[in-house]
Amino acid sequence: MTACSSPADGNEQIGQSDLTAALGERFRNEVSPIQAERGYVLTLSLIQTSSLPSLCRFLFWDLGCQFGGMIAEELSDHWCLHYTFLLPGSGWIDVLLSLPIGTTTVPSIVAEVNAVDWHEREVEDLFGIHFEGHPRLGDFILHDQIWREGIEPMRKSFPVSCELKRKLDLEWQPLLIVGDPGSFAMPVGPVYDGGLGESVHFLLETVGEDVIRAVPRLFYNYRAVEKLAEGRSVADVLLLAERFAATSAFAHSLAFCQAVEKIHTVEAPPRAAILRVLICELERLRHHAGAIAAICESTAFGVSTAHASIIEEELLRASCVLIGHRYLFGLNIPGGLSRDFESGEYQRLLLSVDKAEKDLSTLESRLRYSSSFLDRLEDVGVIGIDSARYLNLVGPIGRASAQHCDLRKACPYSGYEGYAFDVPCEKEGDGYARLRVLFAEATQSVRLIHQAIDALQPGAVRVPCGGSPGGAALGWAEAPRGAALHWLSLDEKGLVDRYHAITPSFSNWHGFHEAAEDFAFQDFPIILATFGLSATECDR
Amino acid sequence: MSFWFWHGLRSGIRTTHYPRRAEAALGVSPGCPVNTEFSSDGEAQTAAAICPVDAIVAHGKSAFVDQGKCVHCQRCRLSIPSPMNWDTGYEWSRLPAGQAESMTLPSAFSRSMHVMVVDAGDCGACLHEVKQLNNPLYNIHRLGFFFTATPRTADLLLVVGPVSENMRGPLLKTWEAMPATRRVMAVGSCAISGGVFGHSFICAGGVGSVLPVDFEVPGNPPPPLAILHGLLVATGRKSVVDTERVSERRS
Amino acid sequence: MASVTGASLILFFLTCAVGILLSAVCGRKRAPLVIAVVGTLSSLLMVLASATVLLTGRNYEAQLWTLDGLGRLTLRLDALSSIFLLAAGIVYFSISLFVRSFVKDQMEDAYPTGRYGVLNFALMASVVLILVASDAPLFLIAWECMSILCFLLLNYEMRQQSDKMAGYIMLAMGEAGFLAVAVAFLILGRMATDFSFSALRAAAAGLSPQALWSVFLLGFFGFGVKAGLVPVNFWLPRSYTAAAPVFIPVFAGVTLNLGFYGILRLNADLVHTSYGTGVLALIVGSITALVGILYATTDNDMKTMLAHSSIENAGIIVAGLGAFLIYRASGQPVAAAIALSASLYHMVNHSIYKTLLFQGTAYVEAETGTRDMDQLGGLSRLLPGLSIVFLVGCLAISAAPPFNGFVSEWMTLQALLRSAVLSSTSVRIVFALCGAALALTAALAVTCFVKVYAMSFLGLPRGAWKPKPHPRVGARFPLAFLALVCLLLGTLPTYVLPVLNQSVEPLSGASVTTSLVPPFFTANAQNGQLPAAFLQDFHNLGAQTGKGLLPGRGLVVLLRGHEQNPVVFAMSPAYAFVALAILLLAGWFVVRRFTRRRAVVRRPLWAGGIPRLLPQMAYTATGFSNPVRVVFQAIFQPNITEDTRQTVAVHFRTAIHRQREETHVVDRLFLQPVGAATRWIAGFLAGMHHGRLNAYVTYVLAFLLLILFLYRAT
Repeated sequence: MTACSSPADGNEQIGQSDLTAALGERFRNEVSPIQAERGYVLTLSLIQTSSLPSLCRFLFWDLGCQFGGMIAEELSDHWCLHYTFLLPGSGWIDVLLSLPIGTTTVPSIVAEVNAVDWHEREVEDLFGIHFEGHPRLGDFILHDQIWREGIEPMRKSFPVSCELKRKLDLEWQPLLIVGDPGSFAMPVGPVYDGGLGESVHFLLETVGEDVIRAVPRLFYNYRAVEKLAEGRSVADVLLLAERFAATSAFAHSLAFCQAVEKIHTVEAPPRAAILRVLICELERLRHHAGAIAAICESTAFGVSTAHASIIEEELLRASCVLIGHRYLFGLNIPGGLSRDFESGEYQRLLLSVDKAEKDLSTLESRLRYSSSFLDRLEDVGVIGIDSARYLNLVGPIGRASAQHCDLRKACPYSGYEGYAFDVPCEKEGDGYARLRVLFAEATQSVRLIHQAIDALQPGAVRVPCGGSPGGAALGWAEAPRGAALHWLSLDEKGLVDRYHAITPSFSNWHGFHEAAEDFAFQDFPIILATFGLSATECDR
Repeated sequence: MSFWFWHGLRSGIRTTHYPRRAEAALGVSPGCPVNTEFSSDGEAQTAAAICPVDAIVAHGKSAFVDQGKCVHCQRCRLSIPSPMNWDTGYEWSRLPAGQAESMTLPSAFSRSMHVMVVDAGDCGACLHEVKQLNNPLYNIHRLGFFFTATPRTADLLLVVGPVSENMRGPLLKTWEAMPATRRVMAVGSCAISGGVFGHSFICAGGVGSVLPVDFEVPGNPPPPLAILHGLLVATGRKSVVDTERVSERRS
Repeated sequence: MASVTGASLILFFLTCAVGILLSAVCGRKRAPLVIAVVGTLSSLLMVLASATVLLTGRNYEAQLWTLDGLGRLTLRLDALSSIFLLAAGIVYFSISLFVRSFVKDQMEDAYPTGRYGVLNFALMASVVLILVASDAPLFLIAWECMSILCFLLLNYEMRQQSDKMAGYIMLAMGEAGFLAVAVAFLILGRMATDFSFSALRAAAAGLSPQALWSVFLLGFFGFGVKAGLVPVNFWLPRSYTAAAPVFIPVFAGVTLNLGFYGILRLNADLVHTSYGTGVLALIVGSITALVGILYATTDNDMKTMLAHSSIENAGIIVAGLGAFLIYRASGQPVAAAIALSASLYHMVNHSIYKTLLFQGTAYVEAETGTRDMDQLGGLSRLLPGLSIVFLVGCLAISAAPPFNGFVSEWMTLQALLRSAVLSSTSVRIVFALCGAALALTAALAVTCFVKVYAMSFLGLPRGAWKPKPHPRVGARFPLAFLALVCLLLGTLPTYVLPVLNQSVEPLSGASVTTSLVPPFFTANAQNGQLPAAFLQDFHNLGAQTGKGLLPGRGLVVLLRGHEQNPVVFAMSPAYAFVALAILLLAGWFVVRRFTRRRAVVRRPLWAGGIPRLLPQMAYTATGFSNPVRVVFQAIFQPNITEDTRQTVAVHFRTAIHRQREETHVVDRLFLQPVGAATRWIAGFLAGMHHGRLNAYVTYVLAFLLLILFLYRAT
């Protein structure tokens, strides 16, 4: 296990002023840098639409930024497209493209920054903005089989509770691209694995024996969380932010609460910040135990599955004992936490966590010497380092392919800069590398929990949050599956005007097809399990 | 070389004794708010007002909870000065509103029921709790319950999630593919009432608007034991709970 | 009875002549009727002629005129010829009716049936002439006629250039085989008084082992061309694929058998070959079978697949023949008789089910416009009747009881298992290996025909085919007739084996009837035909069921051994069939009884919740057979000729295409090296011809000197 040193640790930290200077040299006439706040270090407002691709290329490839995501916003008289980049060690850069509301086409940057692919497809599907140069728009969130053309549900003019005429198009044909003689597509899902798998549909294109390509078709669980949020109070939207992807609820609610706190320029009290770190790492530990159980199950390895899932259930119970909810709902609120704990409570948690760590390390040492288990994971679902970079993979999957970006280090929040921990990285990019990263991160989480409990000082856990006249901000957290970005815009009444969540599953499902090419059919569940992605987190 | 067989044996039996005995372990259930009698009308109304999903209705001094709407946000539990009573049990299964008689499966199914699960837009929590039933700690096989891979052999359709538009078709397909003598169980408040997602252009707002529901397991998410209770109710091995009972608020 | 045989033969040749005349005169409109009527008549005469010989056991012989220098031409119909004549007669009966209904239902009016009729009757006559020729010149003339007629029939539709090419390859290979056979007869005839078969048979006894070996090799591979043996069979899949739908059943059901006839006549009847020749035949047969079925399993063109399957069956037949030669040479007449009767049985069976399958394929192609199994599917709903008879054909060819393929393959494998009686360990090892190869072949044949039936007739239709107007009643009769024959040959082997015995006994010297068909119907405790205890045991098992009701010796095929091992092998497809039928009926009744009050509810197909299962989501034939392709990669050695992954905008895949190309293993290991060598020699010879006079004078002089030297030396 190697811990990659992220640029943030080294000397090559690019200062904000250096960055402005570098950009000023190259894009003097095209952008006007604005000193931004509320989550961003820099906002680059584009003067000319045409320079968007070259600027994004410069940021992503030349400066080595991570791509965060794209946020579309419909304001009264213009569109705002925020292309969010992360310069590790410095912070978030917002490339802002403002267009008059009548604009229907925008240049696509998918050739420059491949990771924008699904973001552009999403905006095209939901807002009706066409991205010129994108080769595969349409049939994304709103499945063409069910939805008529021309429905743009995220437009302000679209009412959230309307009845739409439905018509199932039975003549619809999937896009199949394998042209080998005798090839066919094996459909899997959306209801598969006895329904215990989340609703995803795959078409495995094959000529028998080996699968040439597997393409996921997602958004069966699309519940339009962002549309539901509009016009509602922060307290209501918090419920949505917690509940759209419950297996990483705390990280998402934390990112959301941080966005609210940035808008109102308050900060959670130190005790709350420490407790948030503690609960975040507890969630990560529990999630990773579950992901390990799923990997063991995918290889039909019964005893290890049983052991890992017992660890997971015990952590769920420990969470419930501490917080009152197995999935950590209802704890985060803007301004801190909804309740405080007594020292006896988290000491009891510590016992559970230590036991989980011991059990996990025992399990790991046993699995490491089970050759039949390793044979099924090694060289399965490989994603090369270069592919992982251009697909901009995040979280443990990215880190298994040497993409070390971890928001806790790259752009610390909630006081993570004060903790000592490593970001485990691997280079092989196969299923086993992903499993090793999960085990190593679980160990680091326990380390962080210990540090957090040691650092706890008495004090308040919440400060009042609210009252300011609205605005927009970006909140972020490193969710168990990777970087989660929540972008929130409040109107002057304090109601949500636009809410957008960029989830790690969304980023990583986009890269899934790269791992699912030319594999044996029986490896498919294993590839799926080692990715450990959540459809519902992606779909929102 | 790992002696997995030996390691497995050495772990011993960890499975819960439920339904023979109540499970005593801590944290198996988050509990839920229960109908509470306050000392004044005002307290009851405060409790009702604090609920973000209108699950609490004040009636005189009493505050009644509709478990099918409750999303376990715990705001009523933590509210000061009028917290709701909190039950820490897990036997929550109930019949859909307006249905008097339990559509229990015939006795032939009581020791062997095959369950088909459909994720119809679930947030992952309910589905995850359903999966936990396969965990050795719960191990529903011992009770004769099995998750089946195909609706062709399924007796019970267990639906989680509020039924998103894209999943409406697959859900109906699954239902149609099931043989007769089939029951539908809505698990989680989203599947019962739409939960926080409610009813919208893309959400059916609960399974009931798509399929005839026979059993409901409230909770957000209902813990594994609550779902297990639901399965036992469906086979007639347990009975549904009384939702009308009111407990007095202890100070 | 001999007069009946003679009369039917003469009548047969006359009807053929009438058929030729009428087809030529009537033109394309009436020709199908002529083919049906005259063809049925002549095929019945073939059956009659052979039946008289087989039932009475008396051969028919007639002297024709004498040719100067070659001796007297003789016609002779003996038991060996009769079996082949019988098979040809049954096949021709079905084909003649099939041609009419197929042309009438499926072909446009302009179809050149008249020309087909002329060639067809000429071919029919030449086939019978080959079988009844009793001297080398007549045999060779008839053989040559048959080769040329086959070539003309293959090309009579004159459709594509590739078809013509296939015809030329077939003609060239046929002529090469003919030359080899002619040389074999010449070697044999060197010591004989004339070229009649009886004289040749007498002369063969005096030949040296080397000469016998050369006769065997020339005859085996010369006739092997027609029989489709490795490595001289590369013409076969090509020309079968090219052949017209009305002709191909003749190809597979009749002319293929002539190859076996030639091998048997020359190498088993005229010449008593040594041990080693049998081993060679056994090995070649097993390899042929395995190679044939491997390519059949992986090919998706129904016709080509059936052609490869013909090669496979030819391999099984020749393997049985090889076993026969070995047992005969090592003095095991009973084992030899079992092997030969298995081989002949399989030959008859193959003619019948292969004709059936080719006729079915013709209908499939006519109805859907394709033979590619990747494009077919769901035909059982489009062609329900055809689907049933085709299923019978598939079951029979994949050796599933109660159909005929099972009996003959079982007997062939049993015959190979009898190798324990041989003394040589190395030959026993060869037997074991060949037996394993044939067992693998049988298993692959099941895969192959499950694929054919499941991918073409079951599943979702992959095309928008509309059923054509309902065909006339009886249009499928020729196929149904063959299906019935498959069932009869499969359930009543105890009646078939005595008939086969007529041909087998003269060659092997032992009777299969006495060794394989115990007289359970006639034996009792008193008459001592069977040992009393043995009879009692089998009586308890039910082997005498039907005694008194049915004629014949019994319904059990059984080889009796010695004291320690009283039964070497035994089976009764007849009883098995009856038991199967009773069980099925009883099952049906029970199900009916208990589910009478239950309604059957049809629910939509479960496909994971997607709105509709599309045809492109169904298993294809390629996908089904891909495991075989992967496992036997060493034999197929596919070349990836094209591997493209097109993308747009850096990584969006727009197309993945991989084209594989396979060179047939025979082409790769035999045809290509031979072709290269021929080209090299031709190039060398061409180099000698540079047009200078003195060089040619030098060649002549050198050659003269060489001849003089050789003459001196001898």
